[in-house]
Amino acid sequence: MFLNLLAKECRQIAKSMIYWLIVGILVIFYFSQLGGMSIAEKPEPGQENYGLAYGGDEKDVMDSTLGYLVSEYMNGKYATYPIGFYKAVTPSEADEKRIGEIIEQTTGLSGGENIADAIEEAQGGAQIVYGSSPVQVKEDLDYEEFKKLMQEVDDMLGGGSNYAADSLESNVSSPKTYEQALEDYNNLIEKDHLTGGYARLFCDYMGILLGILPVFLAVTRGLRDRRSKMQELIACRKASSVSIIASRYAAMLIMLMVPVLLLSCIPLVQCIQAASGTAIRIDYLAFAKYSLGWLLPTTMTAAAVGLVLTELTDTALGVLVQIVWWFLTVFSSMGSMHGGAYGWSFIPRHNTVYNYMGFHENFWELAANRGLYATLSIVLAVFSIFIYSLKRKGRLDIRGKILGNLKRKHKA
Amino acid sequence: MAKYLEILKENTKHNIPVHTAIAVILLCFSPLVLGVSNLPYEDTAKVLERYVALLGIILLTPVFLPEQNPDLRDLIRSKYTKITAVYSIRVLEAAVLLAFLLGVYIAVLHYNGCEIHAFRYFGGTLGEMLFMGGLGIFSFALTDNLIAGYMVPVFYYIVAFGSGAKYLKVFYPFSMGIGSYDEKIWLFAGGLVLIAAGIFIRGRK
Repeated sequence: MFLNLLAKECRQIAKSMIYWLIVGILVIFYFSQLGGMSIAEKPEPGQENYGLAYGGDEKDVMDSTLGYLVSEYMNGKYATYPIGFYKAVTPSEADEKRIGEIIEQTTGLSGGENIADAIEEAQGGAQIVYGSSPVQVKEDLDYEEFKKLMQEVDDMLGGGSNYAADSLESNVSSPKTYEQALEDYNNLIEKDHLTGGYARLFCDYMGILLGILPVFLAVTRGLRDRRSKMQELIACRKASSVSIIASRYAAMLIMLMVPVLLLSCIPLVQCIQAASGTAIRIDYLAFAKYSLGWLLPTTMTAAAVGLVLTELTDTALGVLVQIVWWFLTVFSSMGSMHGGAYGWSFIPRHNTVYNYMGFHENFWELAANRGLYATLSIVLAVFSIFIYSLKRKGRLDIRGKILGNLKRKHKA
Repeated sequence: MAKYLEILKENTKHNIPVHTAIAVILLCFSPLVLGVSNLPYEDTAKVLERYVALLGIILLTPVFLPEQNPDLRDLIRSKYTKITAVYSIRVLEAAVLLAFLLGVYIAVLHYNGCEIHAFRYFGGTLGEMLFMGGLGIFSFALTDNLIAGYMVPVFYYIVAFGSGAKYLKVFYPFSMGIGSYDEKIWLFAGGLVLIAAGIFIRGRK
């Protein structure tokens, strides 16, 4: 029964205009963002620019971050980017006092004048440059303790500041040296087998679209029975609610992942061509592995939101909810585009073919993230089945909508 | 005239409230995630053209929603009042509402000490709202599908963030932040054309 329904649902989706619109959008987006992609070449000594390196050792991170903190403390205002837009935060007196205590705890500086004097002395009387206060970190300051205190500051500021755990590394950036660039290249070739880095970049771009597009398909599918007045006819069939909803959901995921996997063949072929005649050992399955592990949970969640809200309300509410969630996620992840800072973001970013170490060191963080969203989507799908079965029995179906009987009666 | 006022009244009573409520909620919640005080010119423009302009999709796209059912469309067509007149009144009301909400939001930004070129920012953002809403109206009319109506302007928005200026040229929506207003004139005109085309197509379906 399930397989029959699954095949039917796949055929239905293949006939859906929205589905082909989604495929068209994926193709256009791929070629506009990754169409001109060229495979990285080995860096040569004496090049003008090797790009930027983010992060550094623990001392660099502490120096730089506390420099920002002291500057902003002196200024009385703190720059935050909760969803990528600038927001200046002025903390309450109590919070400001606590930040002062944290500065004292981490740098030994206390009181506005004392800090200003220390900075002036260190800079030889030069004007304070924003974000670059030359503060001395206390020698006995432990990095874990430092991270905890910075997170406390970030919480007081409402999130999205330079002190959030996933922003600390980004506070230190410097032009890459030839040696660093060579190490990155070697990691890409030897550890990532070339395709790994490009698969992450592919997932980074496709994740942006798959965080929103599946909801359109799910809502369209959910509303189609109602539009074609088939709800009652399907409700009285033998097929169980589990089979009906699970087959719909599975069909959506299959049909959405097929074009993604097909598109991933383009960069794969480019990598194979670049590696031919060289000693590079390509991982041919990298794109498939990354697409399923990285992109599938995003697709599952966006589709599940559409599924559950359409079953619940019989409206396109899922689209609006998902747009808001997508908007907040995409803009708040702008600071972590260099990869390695995945956190609990719905759309993890890794907008570079390099930074293998960032990926490798934070792999379990990413795995937990993806696991969480896969689990959440399954919970939402199960909830959809529950709602659907209640509606089939007529328990929630009040004139087609749960709150339908609360509508105002009118003459029009 | 009386019958048009009656259409306006019914639209205000039955169709506008839900979408207006969503738009107002989005504006009211914006201080939680955006800076809305003491912003320099470019950040004020950014808030308006990247966040507030999204209201165009919310308020304009669903103007054909009440007649999603073809039977209802047939019924309305059987009346003396042209269905395109009904649609035009709805679009006009949504546009006036957008202008009002935008005006209030700009006034709040100004009151909070943000740097603003009030008239230019108002016109530019309204033009963008009409274009994004126009894209929604046009796609809805073309496909007879509300979801497609939402999808197309959302995709336009995503593209604008990617390689926007390179591909969208005069229809690039985020130009105010870099001090350019020519694009907004194109967006305004494009929005009007898309809305008119959408109403025309829907009127014939």
